Amino acid sequence: MIEVKEPRRPIPIIGSLKGMLIVGKHLFRKPVTVQYPEVRQELPKRFRFRIFLNLDECVGCTLCEQVCPNGSIHMQSVERENPRNKRKIYPDVNFGTCTVCRNCEEICPTDAIYLTHVFETSRTRNSFTYSPEELAMNEDEVKK
Amino acid sequence: MSLYSTLLGFFSFLGYPLSNAAAYLFESIFLLLAASLSLVFMIYLFRKYMARVQLRIGPNRVGKFGLLQLIADVFKLVQKESLFPKNRDDLPYRIAPVMVIIGLMLAFAVIPYGSFFYFGSLTVSDTGVSVILLFAILSIMPIGEVLAGISSRNKYALLGALRAVAKDISFEIPMMISVLAIIMMASARTSAPLSIDSIVVTEVLPYGILQPIGISVFLVAMIARASYSPFDMGESDSELITGFSTEYSGMRFGMFYAGLFGSILLGSFVVSLFYLGGFNGPFSGDLGAVWLGIKALILVIISFTVWLSMPRIRIDKFVNFGWKYLLPLAMINLVISGALTLMTGW
Amino acid sequence: MQDFIEINFGPQHPSTHGVLRLKAKLDGEIVKEIEPVIGYLHRNAEKLCEMTFYADNLVYFDRMDYVASMLMESGYLEAAEKILNIVPPERVLWIRVIMNELSRIASHLVWAGAFGLDLGMLTPFFYCFAERDKVLEVFTEICGSRQETNYMSIGGVYQDITPGIVDHIEAFLESFPKRLEEIYKIFVGNDVFISRNKGIGVMSREVAIDYGVTGPMLRASGVNYDVRKAEPYLVYDKLNFEVPVSYKGDNLARFLVRFEEMRQSVHILKQAIRKIPDGPFFNPKAKKSMMIRLRGDGEYYARTESSKGEFGVYIVADGGVKPYRVHVRSPTFKNLSVVQELAKDQMIADMVAILGSVDLVFGEVDR
Repeated sequence: MIEVKEPRRPIPIIGSLKGMLIVGKHLFRKPVTVQYPEVRQELPKRFRFRIFLNLDECVGCTLCEQVCPNGSIHMQSVERENPRNKRKIYPDVNFGTCTVCRNCEEICPTDAIYLTHVFETSRTRNSFTYSPEELAMNEDEVKK
Repeated sequence: MSLYSTLLGFFSFLGYPLSNAAAYLFESIFLLLAASLSLVFMIYLFRKYMARVQLRIGPNRVGKFGLLQLIADVFKLVQKESLFPKNRDDLPYRIAPVMVIIGLMLAFAVIPYGSFFYFGSLTVSDTGVSVILLFAILSIMPIGEVLAGISSRNKYALLGALRAVAKDISFEIPMMISVLAIIMMASARTSAPLSIDSIVVTEVLPYGILQPIGISVFLVAMIARASYSPFDMGESDSELITGFSTEYSGMRFGMFYAGLFGSILLGSFVVSLFYLGGFNGPFSGDLGAVWLGIKALILVIISFTVWLSMPRIRIDKFVNFGWKYLLPLAMINLVISGALTLMTGW
Repeated sequence: MQDFIEINFGPQHPSTHGVLRLKAKLDGEIVKEIEPVIGYLHRNAEKLCEMTFYADNLVYFDRMDYVASMLMESGYLEAAEKILNIVPPERVLWIRVIMNELSRIASHLVWAGAFGLDLGMLTPFFYCFAERDKVLEVFTEICGSRQETNYMSIGGVYQDITPGIVDHIEAFLESFPKRLEEIYKIFVGNDVFISRNKGIGVMSREVAIDYGVTGPMLRASGVNYDVRKAEPYLVYDKLNFEVPVSYKGDNLARFLVRFEEMRQSVHILKQAIRKIPDGPFFNPKAKKSMMIRLRGDGEYYARTESSKGEFGVYIVADGGVKPYRVHVRSPTFKNLSVVQELAKDQMIADMVAILGSVDLVFGEVDR
């Protein structure tokens, strides 16, 4: 345990002037903000947002649907030839409610579902849900 | 040679009565334009300075370096709906922001700006009693604030207006007394000590050096007049939302906002005129206005720094401060400068 | 009969830190009576926790104290891991301590900035947030998100700490104390700041204990109580640090205690970052598909020291994969209730300052 001491009673005004000086000095420091569309901050390797799905790997185990804390993932049946996915069900993701908790990536037994650096996924209100095919596509193709 | 006489000469083909009228008209238009442009520039400067000090970039999207941002903001404010509270006191509610702006613009009209090359003296209206006129005009603006606070029938606005009144009373008397000391000193050297112009002309040695107490009292009073932090009790945003202007929106709010920045600029002009030698300086015959502008700009930057780094003082402590420290200090300053004037003839 | 101005502070008000509403009765400038009204951010988090798996509940705990989500996560895991009989490996405990202390710094920085704003200081807010951003960058590097991290999992953490991240944290610890002192000077050097805080909102030791106040607010009233020392969890007993205490009990004391806590956090981090042992970063019993098959029985109450005070999590399990009941003892809720006592017969400006000194985060009060 240590007792914090109150600072010595400052000489009136001098301390305030010092504070003003510190504030004024920051005029010459580099800004910390980034001009977003022109300059993009370098994102760390682990930064995650948009969910991708590898259709060939997905085995349709529905674990991601179960673990999703707020029910953003639902299974859809997709007509597709995949010997590992006999039931032909694949997850879709509603990005309107997805909180990017990464539990689906964590639990996926075949690493078919994974999160990526892509974060510019602005969409209109009725098209938040990405179908399994859209999850496998790049963001540019989805927007078309 | 002044702006007025230049204009009079320009319009002389119209005959005396008409050219006189035209000269006054154009002079007023110039004043209004210059004042509102400098207000816009002030707000731009404030936002840019605040952003840089706070490690941000500031406006930089509209126009080069964001210079047109404020113009865009003015258009936005004009377009916005001006909301009217249901229980308002209609007439005072409408005229309150106008009064603030009128007080501000009138004050800009009596300030002597010094001379600038071809135009001569830029002073708009020079009377023999411009000191009295200036402080009379300065007391119009608080009326607008009080009217706004009371007429919008909002509890926050009412509390803000009450605080504004308490604040105004407690700093204006010390302010006037410290101006009295200036007039006293000036009266020893000029026959017209009530005209700001002649006060400044006598100011070979700036009065700020002769009256260090006076300049600090007056500076504090000017900060309180403009009501920004640390003395922004009237509109303290973390307690009373925005005080007396809580219910205003659109351009009516914009007028209060312009009033705030206008008072900072005005305060800087007045302090530099009374205490820092105003338009005196090398080549003041040609560059007088530039000197005044530079001095005012430095004061403006200092006041922005004060604004950004000081917390808000509590209202009762400010009233105490005003009556127990500022007023005696102003009195002491008066006595000292009187003695100085008597002994040295200064 | 006396007439008072009745005024509603909030829920939309610049100084209520979210959505607090204060019913205040004013006699001129003086607050005669206030009554905090809460519940505007109620999201039913405790009930939602009963409907999801143990592993998923972390998401809801992230969103309780959203400025220090790592602290909330480790608080929940203290209880959940005991219920589920999962023992995290040694390395995980150290990683959690590091994350906790980084979070504590981030949370206190937010508080310091917002406290300055309450008093009308515009600029220190940005300096605090610039520093906080560096912590959040560390978080992004570790787990991929800035605020709602969801980093810790039952029996471990999701991703391991790499040497690069350790270097990043060390670089932060190198630069941070200097900047902290700079911010401290702007605040404490200012006469007006001192006059607004010294002797304002004095909370005596007895009042603090009666109301169940914990955390920096309690320690500022002269009670040496810190869960990290009183009942060490994780590996806090292997670390060397001091608990700052002040006997003044006013706003300034709370301010100083929090700043000293940040310095102590830096001290803890400097020790912990060198001591991380090698080993696995998760317990294989709770990995992959086992995440949603964990079953627990019994009940357990765990308490941890969050940045606001004692954060308690009470879990009742009935043998299923989902908890039967989760209850949270929120420190801010207890701290907020004492404002009624402190702000009585104070000026409006002081009431705002006292409210600011409590460190309110409404995600946690309303849950």
